Amino acid sequence: MTTQFVSANHAAALAVTLAGRANRGARGFGGGIYPITPQTECIEFLCTQEFDKGSLVRVESEHSAMAVCMGYSLSGARSFTASSSNGLAYMTENVYAASFYRLPIVMMAVNRTLGPPWNIWVDHGDTLMLRDTGWIQLYCEDNQEVFDSILMAYRVAEDRRVLLPAMVCQDAFVLSHTMMQTEVAEQEQVDRFLPELDLPHRVTHEPVTVGGLDFPHETEAHRAQHHAALGRVFDVYAEAQDEFEAIFGRRPADPVVPYRMEDAEHVVVSMGTTASTVRTAVDEAREQGFKVGALRLRMFRPWPEELLARWLVGRERIAVLDRDISLGHGGVLWSELRGLAPRDTLVQNYMLGLGGGDIRPGHITEILEDLRTREASGAPALMEVGQ
Amino acid sequence: MHNTLEIRVHGRGGQGGVTCAKIVAAAYARLGKSAQTFGDYAGERSGAPVRAYTRIDDEPITNRNKVYTPDHLLVLDASLLGDDTLDGFAPGGLLLLNTPQPNASYGERFAAYRFATLDATSIARRHGIGTRSVVIVNTTLAGAYAKLAGISLEVLEATFAGLGVMSNFAAAQEAYEAVEVREPSLVGARAAVSVPLHNEREVGEIADHQSSPPTGLRTGSWSTQRPQYVENLAPCSAWCPAGNQVIEFIQAVARDGLDEAGRILGATQPLASVCGRVCPAPCMEGCNRKEYDGSVNIRGIERWIGDRVRLAPERVERRADAKRVAVIGGGPAGLSAAYELAKLGHAVTLYEGERELGGVLRTGIPVYRLPREVVDREIGAILDLGVEARCGEFLDATRTAAIAREHDATILATGLQELRPLDAPGAELAGIEQGIRFLHRVNLEGGARLSGHVVVLGGGNTAMDCARSALRAGASKVTVAYRRGEAEMPAIREEIEEAKHEGIELLVLRQPVAFHGDGRVTGVELAEVELGPPDDSGRRRPVVSARTSVLACDAVLLALGQSADTGFFPAGWELRDGRVYAGDEALTVFGAGDLATGDGTVTHAIGSGRRAAGLALAALGEDVEVFERPDRRCAVPVTDIRLDHFARAAMSPDRLLDVGTRVTSFDEVNLGMEHQHEVHRCFSCGHCTECDTCLVYCPEGIIRRGGPGYEVDYSYCKGCGICVEECPREAMRMSTL
Amino acid sequence: MIEPLLDGMVGTAADRCEPLLREGNTNCGGCGMSIALNFLSHAVSRRPVQMVIPACCGIVTPGKFPNSAYGAPVVAATFASAAAVATGLARVAQLNGDDTRVVCFAGDGGTYDIGMATISAAAERNEDILYICYDNEIYGNTGGQRSSATPMGASTTTTPRGKGLDKKDMLSIMAAHGVPYVASVSLGHPEDTMRKMSHALETRGFRFLHVLSPCPTGWKSEPSEGIALVRLAIRAGLFPVVEVFDGWRTVINVEPEMSREALEEYLARQGRFRKGSGDIEAVRRAVEQHWKSLRARAALEDRDD
Repeated sequence: MTTQFVSANHAAALAVTLAGRANRGARGFGGGIYPITPQTECIEFLCTQEFDKGSLVRVESEHSAMAVCMGYSLSGARSFTASSSNGLAYMTENVYAASFYRLPIVMMAVNRTLGPPWNIWVDHGDTLMLRDTGWIQLYCEDNQEVFDSILMAYRVAEDRRVLLPAMVCQDAFVLSHTMMQTEVAEQEQVDRFLPELDLPHRVTHEPVTVGGLDFPHETEAHRAQHHAALGRVFDVYAEAQDEFEAIFGRRPADPVVPYRMEDAEHVVVSMGTTASTVRTAVDEAREQGFKVGALRLRMFRPWPEELLARWLVGRERIAVLDRDISLGHGGVLWSELRGLAPRDTLVQNYMLGLGGGDIRPGHITEILEDLRTREASGAPALMEVGQ
Repeated sequence: MHNTLEIRVHGRGGQGGVTCAKIVAAAYARLGKSAQTFGDYAGERSGAPVRAYTRIDDEPITNRNKVYTPDHLLVLDASLLGDDTLDGFAPGGLLLLNTPQPNASYGERFAAYRFATLDATSIARRHGIGTRSVVIVNTTLAGAYAKLAGISLEVLEATFAGLGVMSNFAAAQEAYEAVEVREPSLVGARAAVSVPLHNEREVGEIADHQSSPPTGLRTGSWSTQRPQYVENLAPCSAWCPAGNQVIEFIQAVARDGLDEAGRILGATQPLASVCGRVCPAPCMEGCNRKEYDGSVNIRGIERWIGDRVRLAPERVERRADAKRVAVIGGGPAGLSAAYELAKLGHAVTLYEGERELGGVLRTGIPVYRLPREVVDREIGAILDLGVEARCGEFLDATRTAAIAREHDATILATGLQELRPLDAPGAELAGIEQGIRFLHRVNLEGGARLSGHVVVLGGGNTAMDCARSALRAGASKVTVAYRRGEAEMPAIREEIEEAKHEGIELLVLRQPVAFHGDGRVTGVELAEVELGPPDDSGRRRPVVSARTSVLACDAVLLALGQSADTGFFPAGWELRDGRVYAGDEALTVFGAGDLATGDGTVTHAIGSGRRAAGLALAALGEDVEVFERPDRRCAVPVTDIRLDHFARAAMSPDRLLDVGTRVTSFDEVNLGMEHQHEVHRCFSCGHCTECDTCLVYCPEGIIRRGGPGYEVDYSYCKGCGICVEECPREAMRMSTL
Repeated sequence: MIEPLLDGMVGTAADRCEPLLREGNTNCGGCGMSIALNFLSHAVSRRPVQMVIPACCGIVTPGKFPNSAYGAPVVAATFASAAAVATGLARVAQLNGDDTRVVCFAGDGGTYDIGMATISAAAERNEDILYICYDNEIYGNTGGQRSSATPMGASTTTTPRGKGLDKKDMLSIMAAHGVPYVASVSLGHPEDTMRKMSHALETRGFRFLHVLSPCPTGWKSEPSEGIALVRLAIRAGLFPVVEVFDGWRTVINVEPEMSREALEEYLARQGRFRKGSGDIEAVRRAVEQHWKSLRARAALEDRDD
């Protein structure tokens, strides 16, 4: 284990390199890559790496990048790509296809605002647009978590009980281009953590048609099976946490990460780097005597319903922070979460930091003030924080 | 539930079932009803089962489900009357079925329903709706439905106009009149609905899917027609006057070898080496390759076989109850009749006036065309079968009558002995001779000598033989004068070409009107001829003009044709249609060859002799197949040959002796083909050669090798017809199911 | 003709054990794509293959999960993605030393139109893929809409009065990528088809075969006449049968008649040309222009030799 001073993009690339090499005894590693800000550094770094048995294809679009990954994966190789924002939008058709084919592809997605008008800064709307694609989605808070999540993603995705693609999401620039100390594992450790991929439905020379026609009955069954596989992710993830900890000496975070929740009456729920800022504001509020806690949603898909519900029992007021907007409705996280809150709990949605506005602790403090003082929940509130 | 009329249409992709349901709905809508119509959308392909639905009501329709309990059932294809077509169908309901069968033929099968039938496919096909393999019956059947539902023709017409399908209205109108209906006679229960609310079938995980079994989809049920392998008459065989199985012997050379080819030839005639030299080859006229890149050199192939293998069986057992048959005349017709009879084990006596058998083969045809050893060999093979030959006696009427009495049957094949004279001033001059006599002298009497300029009058093979023989007999110059054009000359084309090649001049459109000379001919006066309209033979009739000129010459040979000499017929005998009658009594005496038909070629004579032998045996109560000349009109036309499959390739020509050598001797001019590659040019019209084209082009891959030829797996055949269309040689056909 | 066709190998031990296209498929009767697949099957023979077919008629062909009318491994790709999915398969085969031929089998929509960027990129990278376009000049699977492969004058559901524009010259575009082998394949010339498919299967790097694939349903023609139509198209010069090696060495395999008679018969036998503008002269001019350019390219070879 070495500590390196790297951006989260590079942290992701380092983890991918190790994971790719770990499959050298099996069918190898590869994927299609295509540049888009702010993900480009990741694939550029990958292109400097040597794989014992692997190759990268410099394709002409994100759509093809995912298609190439499907080809690699269908042939039994470990596969990876990275994208962001409009790239993800362009890729979407094949994002669905990859999961419908039950392929354990891992994608690093840097959350960026969709355009035009063009905006390269952070916004969660791009990956949340893909929430229904049947992928596992993990959202990260710091560089180390990006590195760890890539390895965790492969471990869970490739598990026979799961066999689904996984998306590791990180905030544009706030993480992607921000350098911090990151512990980088040794190859031998990663080899132990990631068994070689043995895809049961790998395409060989048997006559098999992968993805011909489904009639309604077949589609019902395949959706049910897919849904059930996502449901098994929690157990598999928990096992992987234990294994990870045993090998690497640190424990990846749970799907839902609590902060000072022990007696919290008010709770702030958020995703990504916003959660760090929330913690600062929570600490300040606690110093002023308010019983405030925070939850960070690390896993958005599968939706950790039980965990969230458990943490929300008995709370009086909940602020749901969305760095996204489902136009004409409100925050995506809010819309999914509000149904979980106990009947007497006040749930208020705050959408902030859209288009990369820099969310500071003061903004959270304002939100806590509003949450504390409002008489009832209102329409989702869009808070402007940008400059 | 209020009074909703529910209609279900069962069709196949391409038949227009969805449109059928739409027309029905639109017609009801015109009557002021609420209407709803929709089809099943899935992976339909042309021919696959499809359903469509229509609902009609007085009230607004809110039900958007498929129709599970139809009141009316429209079935566009009788083959769809399978497992689930009648699902949920109520007794008393209307069942309209497209079927070629009459309504009554279904008996009690649909007695619980108001059962209507219509042959919509035939009507639609007649009106040209759709393609041959996918006939679109929707509009036609809609016409029948309108009648049954009490929708007027006016409303139907307006509906068709509104939907832009007026071009199909005539068919619908016909169906309106033609539909047959029978009222229900039994009371039944509504058929059970076999579509359960929940499907219990297990569906595997995509991640466990490692191998896909075949579909088991029996696409043969989509088909309305099916291909079959057939044998069709080839033009060469149809055109051969001897009835040779031409395709068979050519293909046998290519596939099975010369022995088999010889056996096939020997089944129809004993003189292949002869015919392979002197036959005008009508087969080559009929050959479908003729206009494409030149006929197959069939005559050359026949010679190739005849010169290399024996045609006749080695020996034949004489039957214990053999018939005794006399054949009078040892020319090709007589030889053919004798051969046919002897092959079947009968006792044949062959009478010939000349000292040797052969007739025109010896007396008429020059040796440079037909070497005598060829004639000897083939006649020898006939005699080997036990034919008794009696030569050297020209029979008179008494002798003929006696022979006829002594035999079970008699065949007369004496040919044409009467020579046509030229009735013109000076015809008696010395130096003017009948060409046949000249040839007889050349061929049988140790030769003849001529000198100077010889004029031959006529345009047939005798004229060519005379001209070319005259050249060889010493003439310094030979001119053939003929009253029509060169294209009308009846001589074999190659003979004319070779004659010209040898320096013989053709003077066409010239009619001899007088001979000049003092005791001996010194010139022939020729009148110019113009061609008028065609005569009965289809050739343009020559019209003699008054313009004449004199062609100086030293000798004239007349080759103006021959006719039958019946001077040896006993009194009262009359030859009618190949049989001899005494008054009204049909004798077991038959005519053959030129005597009977006057067709004038060796090949015709062979066919005629073969037929006479059959007729004689049949008249004697034998169970034999009498040879009939096939009908040329039944032969595969060139338009049915897929010329695209065949690269153009020139005919392998016969090799010819060089001109310098040939005009100074009677050596055989034509040396035959150099090799047998020519057999591969044969299209094999109407006869499968197992070329694999059907196998290669079947889109379904369900034509398989099966013994000789192929087998089609009809359980999967979609009836597209590509195999038939692509068959290079019309050895397949499509039949409607 | 050389009999039997294809040296009589069809259905013998020299043929593929199991055909690529099994009986019981859902294609229309007389489908040119089926015929092309059968030729491919014979050409593939014992070679191991993996096929990629985008969302087109060819992916309805096999029928419903879990059954299939394909007798070989087939990956159904999204419409635009055949060449990209195939890239992945081919790369992994390469990494593992598998002797697999990866074959894309896509229609004109998936090739000329939506898949254009993908195929171009795969060709530019010279991926080890055999890409076969079965071109029925129409979006057949969706019921017959125009594509950039639809010829001038053809009516489709989206060009009800006939398409006024010429067909895209995909073959030249592909050749311009400089890939090892590009050829158009005539189903009407079985030996030509087999030779080109075999050569393409044996060549490594990106290979492109263009097959004119008759579609009785879309062309509104007799199902039995598909192959006859292909030959007419060739005679009329509408479908040049050529091959291009390494992007420049151009060989004309079948000399067209360029006859008006063939052109007229080709058009007359298909319902799709009946509603068209009927400007046969415009079609002829386009065909002649195209052949001028082809011949100029074919002549380059002579000069260099």
